[in-house]
Amino acid sequence: MTPETLSGHTLVDPWFIHALQRIVEMEAHLLGETLTPSLLRRAKRLGFSDDQVGTLSDMLPEQVRSLRQSWDIRPVYKMVDTCAAEFEAATPYYYSTYEQENEAPALKGHKAVVVGSGPIRIGQGIEFDYCSVHAAWALQEEGVKSIMVNSNPETVSTDFDTSHRLYFEPMDEESLRDVIENETEDDGDGPPPSVVQFGGQTAINLSQSLAQAGLPLLGSGAEAIDIASDRHKFEEFLARLGIPQPPGAAVTSVEEALRVAQDIGYPVVVRPSYVLGGRAMEIVQNATEIIRYLTVATEAGQGRPVLIDKYMEGRECEVDAICDGHEVLIPGVMEHIERAGVHSGDSMAVYPGLNLTPEEVDTIVDYTTRIGLALNVSGLINVQFVILGGAPYRSPLFPREDSPDTSVYVLEVNPRASRTIPFISKVTGLPVVNLATRVMLGRTLKDLGHSGGLWKRQKIVAIKAPVFSMSKLTGVDWYMGPEMKSTGEVMGVDHDFPSAVSKALTASDLTIKPESVVLLSIADKDKAESTTLIRELLQAGIKLYATEGTAAMISAMNAPVTVITKRLSEGHPNVVDVINEGRVNGVVNTVSQATSVLRDGFYIRRAAAERRIPCFTSLDTARAAVESLLFGSGSLQEDQGRPYSIKRSEEYLDGP
Amino acid sequence: MTKVAQRSLQAGDRMGTGASKVLVIGSGPIVIGQAAEFDYAGTQACKALREEGITTVLANSNPATIMTDRGIADVVYIEPLTVEVMDRIIARERPDGILPTLGGQTGLNLAVAIADAGLLDKYSVRLLGTPLETIRSAEDRELFSKLLADMGEPAPPSITVSSMDEARKMAQEMGLPLAVRPAYTLGGTGGGLVRTTKEFEAIVSGGLSASPIHQVLLERSLEGWKEIEYEVMRDSSDNCITVCNMENLDPMGVHTGDSITVAPSQTLTDKEYQMLRSASLRIIRALGIEGGCNVQFALPPHPVVDKAIGSNWEPNAPYYVIEVNPRVSRSSALASKATGYPIARVASKIAVGKRLDEIPNVVTQKTLAAFEPALDYCVVKIPRWPFDKFPAGDRGITTQMKATGEVMAIERCFEAALQKAVRSLEMAGRSLMWEDPDWRRDDSLLSQPSQAIFDYGQSCMV
Repeated sequence: MTPETLSGHTLVDPWFIHALQRIVEMEAHLLGETLTPSLLRRAKRLGFSDDQVGTLSDMLPEQVRSLRQSWDIRPVYKMVDTCAAEFEAATPYYYSTYEQENEAPALKGHKAVVVGSGPIRIGQGIEFDYCSVHAAWALQEEGVKSIMVNSNPETVSTDFDTSHRLYFEPMDEESLRDVIENETEDDGDGPPPSVVQFGGQTAINLSQSLAQAGLPLLGSGAEAIDIASDRHKFEEFLARLGIPQPPGAAVTSVEEALRVAQDIGYPVVVRPSYVLGGRAMEIVQNATEIIRYLTVATEAGQGRPVLIDKYMEGRECEVDAICDGHEVLIPGVMEHIERAGVHSGDSMAVYPGLNLTPEEVDTIVDYTTRIGLALNVSGLINVQFVILGGAPYRSPLFPREDSPDTSVYVLEVNPRASRTIPFISKVTGLPVVNLATRVMLGRTLKDLGHSGGLWKRQKIVAIKAPVFSMSKLTGVDWYMGPEMKSTGEVMGVDHDFPSAVSKALTASDLTIKPESVVLLSIADKDKAESTTLIRELLQAGIKLYATEGTAAMISAMNAPVTVITKRLSEGHPNVVDVINEGRVNGVVNTVSQATSVLRDGFYIRRAAAERRIPCFTSLDTARAAVESLLFGSGSLQEDQGRPYSIKRSEEYLDGP
Repeated sequence: MTKVAQRSLQAGDRMGTGASKVLVIGSGPIVIGQAAEFDYAGTQACKALREEGITTVLANSNPATIMTDRGIADVVYIEPLTVEVMDRIIARERPDGILPTLGGQTGLNLAVAIADAGLLDKYSVRLLGTPLETIRSAEDRELFSKLLADMGEPAPPSITVSSMDEARKMAQEMGLPLAVRPAYTLGGTGGGLVRTTKEFEAIVSGGLSASPIHQVLLERSLEGWKEIEYEVMRDSSDNCITVCNMENLDPMGVHTGDSITVAPSQTLTDKEYQMLRSASLRIIRALGIEGGCNVQFALPPHPVVDKAIGSNWEPNAPYYVIEVNPRVSRSSALASKATGYPIARVASKIAVGKRLDEIPNVVTQKTLAAFEPALDYCVVKIPRWPFDKFPAGDRGITTQMKATGEVMAIERCFEAALQKAVRSLEMAGRSLMWEDPDWRRDDSLLSQPSQAIFDYGQSCMV
């Protein structure tokens, strides 16, 4: 195909296609010729990575790197000076290229590289940019020069005055090692250490490569990261500490998977190992679904093991903690509104855990402390828990009815900053990243005026609520499950739960309005439990529409309901019609993994997304919403609901 | 001079440097179309205003931002961004100015709602940066077309409709394909290109309900044309500069946020470059913007592409103005990082009365903000799409943005910058050599644009 034909096909200007052709021609040279210094230099100047060169010339990336070293083919760094070098500039902002003159001689003195988090994606959002920026600032406070590496132009971390130096580079091993080499002084103390705890999974993944290359890390070692991410090592680790976790195993075949699932009992949570944001994670109910999962859905793992764990339908909690090797400081405990099974990034998180008994909090603090110390964490750790026993949803509005006979299990440990760091920092007033970075530099919590244990509980209620962008992604099913789907978050804060939840729901466009109409379509497994929600909706004066099965149940409760068919081919108005015509103002639609249930609900959820009306796929979120209407400030309209506070951030922290 | 500009100049005189307490509106949660760039912009704005001795009050509902931290603004409200809440914040803080141009579409929409609710008069507070009329004109398609006509700037033939019946009637007159753009939506939500009657019915009805004022614009499609953007700055003394121009590798028909973008432009003649530069400066002047502004143009394509489109329509202008964002945008974040010119910072200083020649460029520490940046390198931006999370989703890239984020790479030539940017995507080690087994060739090349560049590369080999 000629570039012109391709240009006609794609409507892309021939100039760009010709450039691509030059890249492709270089590929052919690398594939067909013996690598020489001149060929390698030309390839590097066209932007070929060591990895690409290696693939084409049948070498490992590391071998290409050694060749580059011996042939003295190294990138130099040029300044972004806004004036094409016409005037002198003092911009500490650089990019790499394969030319002669290096404009970035190694910074003198004590310094560290902050590994950024790359592009914003679902599962790795702006939270990690927040953490990287604070890490750079904390380094500076401690007299350490900060060197930022990141590839994302939308961020504060890549702003000119965030760090001493900014390298705008891809977040991969080659770039990072090149930057570190460039920052290694000839007569200095060796390569500067890297900070990998704040750049999300991107930075954590790079920690193993850096460790292999013998490059120093600031804070927790690569070993802690390895134990936390290897299912087998992690299980042994927790067993040694006597801390319970849901039973499970890593498997590599269908037979093994079926055996494990049989042993631990359905439902089970299945997921590929080493993935981000719960990608391709599912809760499966039976053997057929396991077989389907392993044969169809394991692409994500690419030959890597699949993890199978017992699904425990309990309340989920999480903590972030700072560990200095001697003590573990826990800023606060966050409790999720949605029960386990909804990805923590998609759950509404409540600070402080209003429903937790003192015993549960003590256990969480104890487990976190022991895990942090035993893993030898230096810096941050995030631990997720599930609490079994009692009802999986407990409204923070009402006193506990169930006995405190519960047990706490550890679901997950991440030896790095998590996405709740900005939230927990703001609601507790503790500068979490700052403290963690200084601990990583060798300070102790005691030095910094803190001690281990749970930080004082603030007299507020704060709720972090997810925000989805599903109206933009046509064809995407967005029910909440173990795979994260939200793109952002909001916070609602006040001195009581009803006001805080009203604010969180208002800010995330999830309010149920008084005297409105809500359409219900509840999966069979959730029907029994949904009766409380239905009563609360009626009590709030909401009119109910429901699909066939759900309507039958509501009628059986002697409550008024309008039946709307979910069978799109059987007459009008059906569920999609009533949503599109604007006759309903909210939808509650729960799912099960049964294909037919997913398919029926899909059209309802898509219609709601496109019509931009609230759609609840978890009974727990729906209950929080209706309770905010019944007992809180609702959608914060004037003359409606109870009064709510409007205060400066720091006024909340000073207490009511 | 247009009425808007006259009014703004008068407002500018009044404004002077008199503002002593300014409310900055943040962009709320990260959604597709509004990502971290507004944390970057808002943080710069708060810092820049404080340097001028102005007390900054920030409102944002998103806790995962640097701007809502202690030490950035003087006063922070982490509360929902609604009119009711703003009313109470304004009543409590009594700012004398509101800066809405750094909070994306959310900030502008809220500013319009605040004005409509009469809060500006109630608390005698004024909007800084962009006149309210300009915000309205840039958002309301009909007013915008009229404004362009007043300025003598060419707009693609179009008509605004507010019902399906009206839309059908107009489509009969104009013929398909048409671009559908709903008024007042984020990242083009609810819009799209329609080639068939079926698509027309679906997208227009979706767009009407997506638009808070139930209005969509039907526009002559310029699919396949080059899409060029300019970032321009203007101060209250009518000094203007262009910060940077950018060219989309993807032609018109693909949302800018979903396009691979190159800075500076690579395929324009000097004459074309200057023609669009002059037009950008004329536009920002006519709109009376004090601060930053983004102007998007469509330029006729290369003859090879023109032939492939096979349009028999004869354009009546050498270019068309597609869109004007009278605020700091995603593109301005990119332009700032691509040039080293801190647009949000300079825009904030201008909003409180500083002139371009009074503002030092703190990035270089040697030049002034009145100095037009020059680049001796090439910058490539590639969007990061969420399709790895949603394999079942519709990957078709249209005028509705789908990317959650983006990467940027800088190098001396386009080829190297492009390859570096591909590496930056962190797509499990995919380089340009990566080939998707599911690719379908031929006319479906653009059906999976997230992989299109890989596909182009492969096609060059065949």
